[in-house]
Amino acid sequence: MTSKRAPGTRAWISIVVLLAIAVGAGPWASIARAADPIKIGLGMALTGGLAANGKPALMAMQMWAEDVNKKGGLLGRQVQLIYYDDQTKPATVPAIYSKLLDVDKVDIVMSGYGTNMIAPAMPIVIDRKLLFLGLFGLANNEKFQYPNYFQILPAGQNPAVEVSLPFWELAVKQTPKPQTVAIVGADAEYPHNALAGAREVIKKYGLKIVYDATYPPNTTDLTSVARAIKALDPDIVFVASYPPDSALMVQAAHEVGLKPKLFGGGMVGLQFTALLTKLGPKMNGIVNYDYWVPEPTLKFPGIEDFLKRYQARAEKEGVDPLGHYLPPWAYAYCQVLEHAINGTKSLDQQKLADYIRKNEHDTIVGKVKFGKNGEWETSRVLMVQYQGIETSDLEQFKKPGKRPIVAPDKYRSGTLIYPYSKVK
Amino acid sequence: MSQRAFLAVAALVVVAGFLVSRVLTNQYYYFAAYVILQYVVLATAWNILGGYTGYVNFGTPAFFALGAYTSVVLIKMMNAPLGLQLVGGAAVAGLLGLGIGYLTLRLRGVFFSIATLALAVVLQTLFVNWEYTGGARGLSLIRPATAPLFGHYVQFLFEVMLILALFAVGVAAWIEHSWIGRGLAAIRDNEEAAECMGVPTLRLKLVATTVSGALMGLAGAPFPYFVTFVEPGSVFDLNYAVNSLAMPMIGGSTTWVGPIIGAVLLGTAQQVATVTISSALNLLIVGVILVAFVILAPEGIVGLIQRLARRREGDVRLAHGKAT
Repeated sequence: MTSKRAPGTRAWISIVVLLAIAVGAGPWASIARAADPIKIGLGMALTGGLAANGKPALMAMQMWAEDVNKKGGLLGRQVQLIYYDDQTKPATVPAIYSKLLDVDKVDIVMSGYGTNMIAPAMPIVIDRKLLFLGLFGLANNEKFQYPNYFQILPAGQNPAVEVSLPFWELAVKQTPKPQTVAIVGADAEYPHNALAGAREVIKKYGLKIVYDATYPPNTTDLTSVARAIKALDPDIVFVASYPPDSALMVQAAHEVGLKPKLFGGGMVGLQFTALLTKLGPKMNGIVNYDYWVPEPTLKFPGIEDFLKRYQARAEKEGVDPLGHYLPPWAYAYCQVLEHAINGTKSLDQQKLADYIRKNEHDTIVGKVKFGKNGEWETSRVLMVQYQGIETSDLEQFKKPGKRPIVAPDKYRSGTLIYPYSKVK
Repeated sequence: MSQRAFLAVAALVVVAGFLVSRVLTNQYYYFAAYVILQYVVLATAWNILGGYTGYVNFGTPAFFALGAYTSVVLIKMMNAPLGLQLVGGAAVAGLLGLGIGYLTLRLRGVFFSIATLALAVVLQTLFVNWEYTGGARGLSLIRPATAPLFGHYVQFLFEVMLILALFAVGVAAWIEHSWIGRGLAAIRDNEEAAECMGVPTLRLKLVATTVSGALMGLAGAPFPYFVTFVEPGSVFDLNYAVNSLAMPMIGGSTTWVGPIIGAVLLGTAQQVATVTISSALNLLIVGVILVAFVILAPEGIVGLIQRLARRREGDVRLAHGKAT
């Protein structure tokens, strides 16, 4: 059967139909775009050296996305996290972030965990003038001074000094006032920074350094270091170490009977559940930095609910069961973004960055205000003292009292037991 | 392949790379391709000593890192252009290769391998404590945003690595087919016999360590601008040693084509794994493929193809024999 209509008429009908489809599809297309989720992209250490913290951090971010989506999303759109495992290798970061931006077409990029994973992403975000929120990076923006970078670690604008400052402020207030200091740390990134900062403060307070040394990062026994320090009998022993050597140092100090007046300071890892339960009573008396502990002075709105949900989920997923160290901060840096998107009603990178810079943000880790280079305007590094730990039971650390805050005064929740030797 | 044909193909690849960089703007592909090409250079370099000569070198990270740190020093000292960084990185790593060759080539087998591994540890400790290059905490670098003719600097880096890969392959192919390659093969098969036959074994081994080291340094030289952050942990990563050994093993270690096949196959698999299965499977992939090849095709893909071709040729001859 053939059509009776002339070919010209058929062509016109086709054009009209196509135009109608095109005109009709326009609004539908924009509705479809509006219904698309807001994509947030990041690389996270899910394997490699930082995975033990990377996995819980990602879980906290996923909890935030679920919480937001339950409330109806952001700007009426659901939130979707797109993430890749950076394997704790900086070399994987450039490809991951360009994949997120060029292939996955994410709306926002956020950093993975740690200074070394943030640094390689910086040129990419700077090049494209993007907003970039960092998770626990130390002085990443010092060189770039990029105005749209913000970092959630509460170490203030001079992190190397601020990380140990409350320790030294606490030390010089004690009676009898300590005079001599031993400082020791690993030959690695953070310890080098922390020791340099400590030297600055020690000089300012007129204390005398009697021992100042570093050891190779893969050292498996620190008893010789502890013995060398003990022979000099310093009043203060300041340690800047990474998790494996933090544990070794605590064990070595016990083994050789090292009894200074104040011991600890910058030991990374003592905050982690694995070491808390491994070292247990051996940690009593140590004064060490922390960022959040379940003490009454740090009960910010939402934190208890978050931890309750986190801990239930962590048990099932086999990640850090306590979640005090990194997860609240991972959740909080997402909250800063949420606050900015809701505040500006936009996904415009510059508007979001301007909003974050100018405003204070309510999060589960307290009010956050950013200052120079996107670091916290005022440091909130805490010094806690491990007290009354009798067993290695995990449950005890969920309650207040085992890690009371002894400095700064604003957040103080307990009294320092001084000297350290009195504890044992 | 004749020298002229190789040069023609290489020129074509360079031009094609340039044209692609003008058309394709998606930066992800350049970052991914850069890493794969970097492994072509490393695997080819490793193969000159490990495959041709039979001396297994675990010190790839040392040479790669030395190339990268030479660039860091040159950038800090005089803001040197990339060309100078490449020359500097290759020269310093080549000199290290020569020096290490003198010190360690009297060792054989596993003892030589352990010595090269120790070299990486010693150098890493040195850089961890050298504050000028950032020490243990590392150093952030600001790379130029653009490059003439290429627009974005990442596209330029991709083209540079493409040229370096072709250069490394060219050097390896030339060595393989020259009297040096034949001498190295003699050393690999039986060093004492080669020595008795008048092959200058120590001198040839020194050539191999120097060239291999220089090419590894060449691969490391653009790394600071690629990643923009250099710290000892990432440049001395043992992954470089594992990959540069696994790739020629999988591709075939007796010919210059083998490392290219291995690097492209494994490198691509790793890049895909990073953004798809997103887990520690990267190293597992290398391990499983390596074990499979060692068992099923000990001479690598090239050896497997050659064996299959020979078998087919034999079958054809047999059929001809029967027919006549």
